[in-house]
Amino acid sequence: MKIEWQKAAVGRRKFLKGATALGAVSALPIGLGNRAMADDSSTLRVRSYGDMQSIDPAFSKGVIDEEIHASIYNKLIQYKPGREWDWQMDAASMIEQVDPTHIKFALRDDIGFTNGYGSMTAEDVKYSFERIISDETESPNKPDMGPLSHVEVTGEREGTIVLNEPFAPLWSIALPYITGSILSKKAWEAAGGKATADPLAESGPYLRDSWSPKERTVLKRNPDWKGDAPAWDTVEILPIDDENTAEIAFEAGELDFTRVSLGSVERFRVGVPNGGTLLEYPSLYYAWLGMNLDHPKLQNQKLRQAIQHAIDVPMIMEAAYFGAAEPSTGIIAPGLIGNRAQSLVPPAADFEKAAALLAESGETNVTLKLDTLNKTTFTTAAQVIQATLSQIGITVEVNVLESGAFWGSADNEDLQLVLNRYSMTPDPYYATSWFTSEQVGHWNWEQFSNEEFDQIHNSAYQESDPAKRAEMYQRAQDLMEETGAYRFLTHEATPVVHSAGVTPALRPDGQVLLRYFGKA
Amino acid sequence: MVHYAVRRFGLALLILFVAVTVMFLMIRAVPGDPVQIMLGPRATPELQARLTAELALDQPIIKQLAIFYGNLLQGDLGIDVFSGRSVTSIVFQQLPHTLSLIFASIIWSATLGIALGAYAAAHPNTVIDRVTAAISVSFVAAPAFVVALLSLLIFAVHLQWFPAIGAGEGFWDRLDHLVLPSLAIGLSWVGYIARLVRASMLEVMGEPHIRTARAFGLSERRIVMIYALRIAILPVVTVIGVGMGFLLSSAVFAEIVFARPGLGKLVIDSITTRNYPVVMGSVLVSTGLFVVSTALADLINAWLDPRARAGH
Repeated sequence: MKIEWQKAAVGRRKFLKGATALGAVSALPIGLGNRAMADDSSTLRVRSYGDMQSIDPAFSKGVIDEEIHASIYNKLIQYKPGREWDWQMDAASMIEQVDPTHIKFALRDDIGFTNGYGSMTAEDVKYSFERIISDETESPNKPDMGPLSHVEVTGEREGTIVLNEPFAPLWSIALPYITGSILSKKAWEAAGGKATADPLAESGPYLRDSWSPKERTVLKRNPDWKGDAPAWDTVEILPIDDENTAEIAFEAGELDFTRVSLGSVERFRVGVPNGGTLLEYPSLYYAWLGMNLDHPKLQNQKLRQAIQHAIDVPMIMEAAYFGAAEPSTGIIAPGLIGNRAQSLVPPAADFEKAAALLAESGETNVTLKLDTLNKTTFTTAAQVIQATLSQIGITVEVNVLESGAFWGSADNEDLQLVLNRYSMTPDPYYATSWFTSEQVGHWNWEQFSNEEFDQIHNSAYQESDPAKRAEMYQRAQDLMEETGAYRFLTHEATPVVHSAGVTPALRPDGQVLLRYFGKA
Repeated sequence: MVHYAVRRFGLALLILFVAVTVMFLMIRAVPGDPVQIMLGPRATPELQARLTAELALDQPIIKQLAIFYGNLLQGDLGIDVFSGRSVTSIVFQQLPHTLSLIFASIIWSATLGIALGAYAAAHPNTVIDRVTAAISVSFVAAPAFVVALLSLLIFAVHLQWFPAIGAGEGFWDRLDHLVLPSLAIGLSWVGYIARLVRASMLEVMGEPHIRTARAFGLSERRIVMIYALRIAILPVVTVIGVGMGFLLSSAVFAEIVFARPGLGKLVIDSITTRNYPVVMGSVLVSTGLFVVSTALADLINAWLDPRARAGH
């Protein structure tokens, strides 16, 4: 055999010597000594639970993208930070609902787009809103715009939003949330109506400086912003999936703001490290136990009602939510129109009543399968449900599923009980939309189909009187609960901590409004 | 040597093909409609149909596989469903983070492991040997996630010597950010390598050439460091090659616990969201990394030890 190694520039002896030297160098201390805490007073570091998915509002995946969009784009109106849902002017200098289907607006004259795309005009508003509802765009967020017909441009900065029918959520979802972002028509048309990862033209108080996927998004103050100057020069958004990691990072002084786990709330109530503060906000999410009305095992309404009464919600709150969340009364959270003061079935279990209902049903030896997500909160809740239902003689087998498989449950014909949780926007219209007859086979896994409910869903969003609208949505939730197919559990909670130097600006559900974050 | 290298890399390509094919089939066997999961609850049927066609999910699985390999041969790993970016750029943006973590772990654990092992072998059956053995076994037994959390609490939160999260910017900052994650996933390798080197050293110390060296009156230190360690270290090279695979798996949890970017986190996120193009791109690269590293370890072993080549 030819001995090639003799010809090599680096022989094996040299290699071994070199490797040893390299190892020795690597063993040298890198930077021991007291590490100063992050003390850059011009940079705000916040945690997001995921990474940005799209820079295009038409394809925004929700809160994560919106944190960035709401900072770099403008909307006619923005959510107002506080404990109650409200909005405030942003790009609009005037906005007025002149009749149920016409909303007049005028834009501020001091907002411009980056990259030389000029001032913001009513044409940009028209382009942005109509783009969302265009079939060509195929935007998954189109339903947020409801019955938007078009936008009439009546002046350089004036226009009228025209609806096909009244749409109350326009003020709570369409304009201040994802679909309300105003893009530069010129920039987007020049790019063929599509953007990948980089913004084409920005107009907000912040500009996206950089995006390192899975690592950080950096926002820098927009030097041309003429509105109220944002308090922070730089905002770093760090995608951290694991809440425990985020809490450790906060304690290490590497984060200024983060949501914390419900399990840590008690600890932070005693004291937050580094002089920080714990804020507890309710959440809009809603979790419930659903029963498949089409499944042969669940045809008996008395059986379903027995299950409703045998589930002890306060016990679930203690075991799975560490006492940091409150029982819910339905799918619409407190603070929103349509929230019920009480559910039909009280939160605490009534085992006597449950046993009586079970006996009345005539069902014996009931064994049911309960599907749930593979998250500790849900598996714990499922175990509590398993234990409490066993007290009236119902056997429950818990089936834990990975998220992809779980969210594909619409195709699962054997779905029986399911522990579910949906996200929510601040309008009841969004909540009821998943439980209509149209959604059977898609997201209405209980196969709940009720004409009156459908009628309420299709008419309540047109109701401009908040009191009447509230009554309608309360009735809709009564209808759901009366079937026995729903046991409402909780809206969860959003506990957050922030460092001493930060004044957070949060929506009433604890979600961040970065452009309004201040310094303490 | 060239012939051996060609054969070894041929085998590596075959392994890569089998592994990637198995992963391709496995990801498609996972329950749930991938398009619905990818696009979310509000995607229009038209958009769902378009994405299904774009990803060829409406085609028979064999055809999907053929399309995947066809594109791969043209260097096309596809487009990320969410961002519209090329999968190649996404994967290669994450790769350096994972590689730096793995290499940092290997370098420090091999250095310390070799030193501990050699020291123990030089003092067999003494108190030092037993203490070294205890330390090594403790390191092997320490679960990496416990080490990760404890090191975070001690060195990041309490002492604030090292950063807790992220990958850093610039060379020194990145190195600083590597300390705790590489400590977490490399610690058990210290013990493992130390035990390996000790056993190998003790075997070598009984060889005739060591006896000859002693007969020539060479110092014990010179015998251990120059003549014995050089040979005893050879199995470590092979172990490190195989260890790349284990470290790749460990990197997944390290990337989550330390909120670092990297291939592991990319794979997890992509599987959860059924982002098939990114899953396959990441799997291809990480499998390739493992296969190439084991092949390289074999080649280095053969280069360093002519007996290994002769065996082939």
